[in-house]
Amino acid sequence: MTKRTVDVSIPVGPVHPCWKEPARVKCETRGEFVLSAEVELGYMKKGIERIMRGRPWQEVMFLAERVCGICSVIHNMVFIEALEKISAIPVPERAALLRVIVNELDRMQSHILANFSYCYTIEHETLGMYLLDTRERVMDELERITGARVTCAYIVPGGVRFDLRPEDALHLRAGMDALERDITRYMGMFEHGPLIALRSRGIGILTREAAREACAVGPTARASGIPDIDRRLRHPTYQKLGFAPVSREEGDNFARIMVRFQEVLQSIALIRKCLDTLPEGPIRGGGIPGAGEIAYSGEAPRGELSYFIKTDEAGRVVEISIQTPSIMNIEACCHYMLKGVASLADVPSTFVSSDPCIACTER
Amino acid sequence: MTMLQSLKNFVRSKSIHVAYVDVGSCNGCDIEVLACLAPRYDIEQYGIFVHNNPREADVLLVIGAYTPGWEEKLKGLWEKIPDPKAAIAIGNCPISGCLFARPHTLVDPPVAKHIPIAVQVPGCPPRPTEILSAILSVAPTVFKDYEVRK
Repeated sequence: MTKRTVDVSIPVGPVHPCWKEPARVKCETRGEFVLSAEVELGYMKKGIERIMRGRPWQEVMFLAERVCGICSVIHNMVFIEALEKISAIPVPERAALLRVIVNELDRMQSHILANFSYCYTIEHETLGMYLLDTRERVMDELERITGARVTCAYIVPGGVRFDLRPEDALHLRAGMDALERDITRYMGMFEHGPLIALRSRGIGILTREAAREACAVGPTARASGIPDIDRRLRHPTYQKLGFAPVSREEGDNFARIMVRFQEVLQSIALIRKCLDTLPEGPIRGGGIPGAGEIAYSGEAPRGELSYFIKTDEAGRVVEISIQTPSIMNIEACCHYMLKGVASLADVPSTFVSSDPCIACTER
Repeated sequence: MTMLQSLKNFVRSKSIHVAYVDVGSCNGCDIEVLACLAPRYDIEQYGIFVHNNPREADVLLVIGAYTPGWEEKLKGLWEKIPDPKAAIAIGNCPISGCLFARPHTLVDPPVAKHIPIAVQVPGCPPRPTEILSAILSVAPTVFKDYEVRK
């Protein structure tokens, strides 16, 4: 074993200008070179699973949504679909497609926010502000359909809460056209920007083997060339829509951001396909959740999200355990991406490029 | 009131530096604060600058329901902010704990028990416009004639 010379151990966080949420990354450095990094969590632990136990599903539904405020729709969707699987509640075709529309809108705003954070961290504020403005348009569509910007509670057992009005569908179509135009333009700016490439290409590399070893999920894994990690491939509605995941081979910061851009465009295509094939019909089939237990997972914007739920006859949640995607990506980030980063200035940008969500990691 | 004081009052109402700290929320209010930066709301046209450095801040936005991890840190953070200063509670969590104030929880709301809160903005989450108007309303009341009152 060779002796390691460490100059200084530099803590980054918990309150840091570039981070939305508190987390502390301790970097052991020699000069500017990062030898190893370690993440310290524990600033956001609220004990949501402890609160959930013994409560009726009507309450747990709203708590599940507040596990993560950025990707609230997918938490709602996975929890409700798990309940439906337990009690064999059918979902009307129209409601299933409306769920996909809302879920993809949520994914778009989450990905655009992640890319904004990255652009802000590498101090390309112009592109960041363009993206944040684009995100507001996605939030508008989300609000038109669900009635709320962040915590929508749109998905209920047996269907969805509100129907898509014809004028909303028209607005959504027009909005998707404008978004596609803008996102394609920003993607070109990001892809061909020479200064962006200097700060992004070849930095924070996560190889395919390392991604498999660290069990990386979501866009982080797909940027390292693992496309089959996407849980949407196993979702029946997405299968009907002919969904195929995107992936890139580079595995650096640049690839992770580009994968998110590509997924936004893919979401736009999915929403268009849903609108084209949206049948007339009811949006709520009814049905009462009963007793049973299930492990169910779905694809959150950050990766695989799994719920294990056990309910009793009255629909109370007896046992629940949630596994959120960010913890895998944070581990992959600290143990593989940050190791060997040439400059301390790249530590926040590399950490942000893996899109950590501390709120849902700690719950 | 001296001329210097009226000059200070004017300048302070036009340059508000904001830091935000998340003491255990669901992230929903965080992104609504971030959305204030967007060109649609354009927080900087009112002279509000978000840079998240407590040592330069005038206003601290507190988000979240106060988890045990912040027990020693939040007070320290509050003391680092130079006077005159004000804290704004964003969302239901720092006011009442919202959904998290239930049996078996780990959070300890309200945040007003731990640091003085000047303004509360309820909502789960509040809209960016509400956050903006709260920050703007705090400036004239808290920072006006600070030296005289001191």
